Amino acid sequence: MSTLVAEQELRAEAQEGRGQAARDALLRTALGLGTGYVLLPLVIVIIYSFSSVSYGVFPPPALSTRWYGHLLEQAPFRAAFGRSLTIGLAATGAALVLGLLGALALVRARFRGKEMLRGFLLSPIVMPKIVLGVGWFIFFARLGMQGGVVPITLAHIIVVLPFIINILAANLVGLDPSLEEAAQDLGASTPTVLWRIVLPQIRSGLIISALLAFVVSFDQVESSIFLTRGENNTLPIEMFLYMEKWQDPTIAALSTVLIVFAAAMVGVAVLFSRGTDLRRILPR
Amino acid sequence: MRIRGTAAAILLAPVMVVMVVLYVIPLGVYFINSFHRFLDGRILPAWTLQTYVDYFSDSFNYKVMGTSLRLSLLVTILALVIGYPLAYALHTRVRSAVAKGLLALLLFSPLLVSVVVRTYGWLILLAGTGLVNTLLRRFGLIDQPISLLFNMTGVVISLTHILLPFAIFPMYSVMSRVDVSLKEAARDLGAGWWDTFTHVTLPLTMPGIVAGALICFTLALSAFVTPRLLGGGRVQVMPLMVYNNTVDINWPTGAVSGLVLLLMSIAAVWTLNSLLRRLPSV
Repeated sequence: MSTLVAEQELRAEAQEGRGQAARDALLRTALGLGTGYVLLPLVIVIIYSFSSVSYGVFPPPALSTRWYGHLLEQAPFRAAFGRSLTIGLAATGAALVLGLLGALALVRARFRGKEMLRGFLLSPIVMPKIVLGVGWFIFFARLGMQGGVVPITLAHIIVVLPFIINILAANLVGLDPSLEEAAQDLGASTPTVLWRIVLPQIRSGLIISALLAFVVSFDQVESSIFLTRGENNTLPIEMFLYMEKWQDPTIAALSTVLIVFAAAMVGVAVLFSRGTDLRRILPR
Repeated sequence: MRIRGTAAAILLAPVMVVMVVLYVIPLGVYFINSFHRFLDGRILPAWTLQTYVDYFSDSFNYKVMGTSLRLSLLVTILALVIGYPLAYALHTRVRSAVAKGLLALLLFSPLLVSVVVRTYGWLILLAGTGLVNTLLRRFGLIDQPISLLFNMTGVVISLTHILLPFAIFPMYSVMSRVDVSLKEAARDLGAGWWDTFTHVTLPLTMPGIVAGALICFTLALSAFVTPRLLGGGRVQVMPLMVYNNTVDINWPTGAVSGLVLLLMSIAAVWTLNSLLRRLPSV
C-alpha cells in the first residue's frame, strides 16, 4: 500500500519535472524571440542600408555601398548632425549644473513643500512634447528669438532636466553625510566639499545622467520642430522631414551610422559606470 | 552636508528661474491662446470661450479623442502582454549576472536610437514587399500582400515595439524585489505552477504591471512621429491635431486640443497612480 503511494508520488514528481522542463524551454525561447523582435527593426535598417535598389524589398536583390556615398553628398544631414551635437552637449552641460544644485537642495535640505517642488521639477517628463513644442514656438516668437540653435538648446534644457535631477537625487540619497560633515568640520568650504567629496562619489551617476540627457536631447522631434523653421533643422527633424518625402536607403545608411554611434555610447556607459546606475536610467 | 534655508534657496534659485521662464511661462502663453479665437485666417485677441464651445461641439474632435484612447489602450495592453513573459523569463531563467545584464542591455538598446530610425525600420519591415509580407507569403498564410502600412495596424505594431522596453523594465524591477520564499511556500503547500502564478506571482508583481502601463499609456497618448510617418494621414490622433492646428496658425484650437491631451494624460497618471497606491507595496 505504502509503496503504491510512494510510486504515485514519484510519478507525480516526474510529471512535474517534465512540466518544469517544458516551461523552462518555452520561457527561454520566448526570451530569445523577444530579444530578436526588439532588435529586428535596427538589424533590418542595417541590412537595408547595403541594398542595391531604392525601393523597399526584402531581401535586397544585391548589395552595394552606394547609399553611403549618397549620404556623404547630403550636406544638410552633416550640418544637422553638427547642430544636434552642439545642442545636445550645451543642453546637457547646462542641465547638469542646474540639476546638480537642485538635487542637492532636494536631498540635503529640509523645507516645506519639498515633495511638491520635486513633482514640479519632474513634471516635464509627463508633459506631451508637442504641447511643449508649440508653447516654445509661441514664446520664442513673442520674444523675437527665432532661428538659430539657442532657442532649441534652451528648450532641451527643460526636456532633459527631470532625468538628470531624478538620477542625481537617487545617487545623493545613497551618500554618507558624515564624510561631508567631517570635511566641513576640518574647515573645508561648501564649494570644496561639493567638488572634492560629493562629486567624486556620484561620478557614475553624473556620467549616466549626462549620457541619457544627451540621448534624449538628440531624439527630440515634436518639441523642436516648430523652432527650427526649416533652415536650421536638427538631425532627427531633418530625417523626419526627409522621410515624409522620400524613403530611399539614404536614411538607412544614416540610421546605421547613428546605431553605431549609440553602440559606442553604450560601451562608454558600461565602461564608466556601475550596474546600479544603468538601472536608474529607467523611469519608475 | 548640512544645507540650511538660505543655502537651499541659493541652490534652488537657478533651476527655479529656468523652470519658470522656460517652462511655466511658455505653457501659460500657449494656453492663454485657448481663450482667443481664430477667424478668417487670423487670431482675434478678444477674450472668449468660443474656441472651447466650437471644439466640444464638433463630433470630429471626439473621434480623434477616441482614436487616441483606443491606440494608447491597445498598445499598452500589447506591450504588457509581450513584456511580462520576457521580464519573467529574464528574471527567472537567466542564471548568470553577466548574461542577465547583457540581455537587459539588448532589450533596452533600441531606446538609444532615435524614434525616427526605429519607425523607419518598421516602414521597411511592413512594406508590401517587406520582410513580414514576404515571410507570410512564403509560409502560404496569405496570397496577396496585406496592407500593414499607413493604417492603424502599422502604427499599433511599431508603437508597441517602441514602448516595449518601458513595459519590461518596471515589471522586471518589481520581480527582482519579490520575495521568492513566498513562491516556494506556495509550491510546498501543494499549489501547482498555474495556481502559484495566478495567486502569488501575478498579484505580487502587479505594481510593476501598473507602473509599466502608466509609462506606456502616457507615452502612447503623446506619440507623434510614429502615427505621423506610419499612419498615412489615416490615424488621426491628438498630437497630430495639435501639430496641424499650429501649422495652420490656428493657435486657439491647437491650445484647446493640447489642453485636452494634457488632461487625458493627467487623468491616466492619476488613475493608475491611485491604483498603484492601493496595491501592497513590494
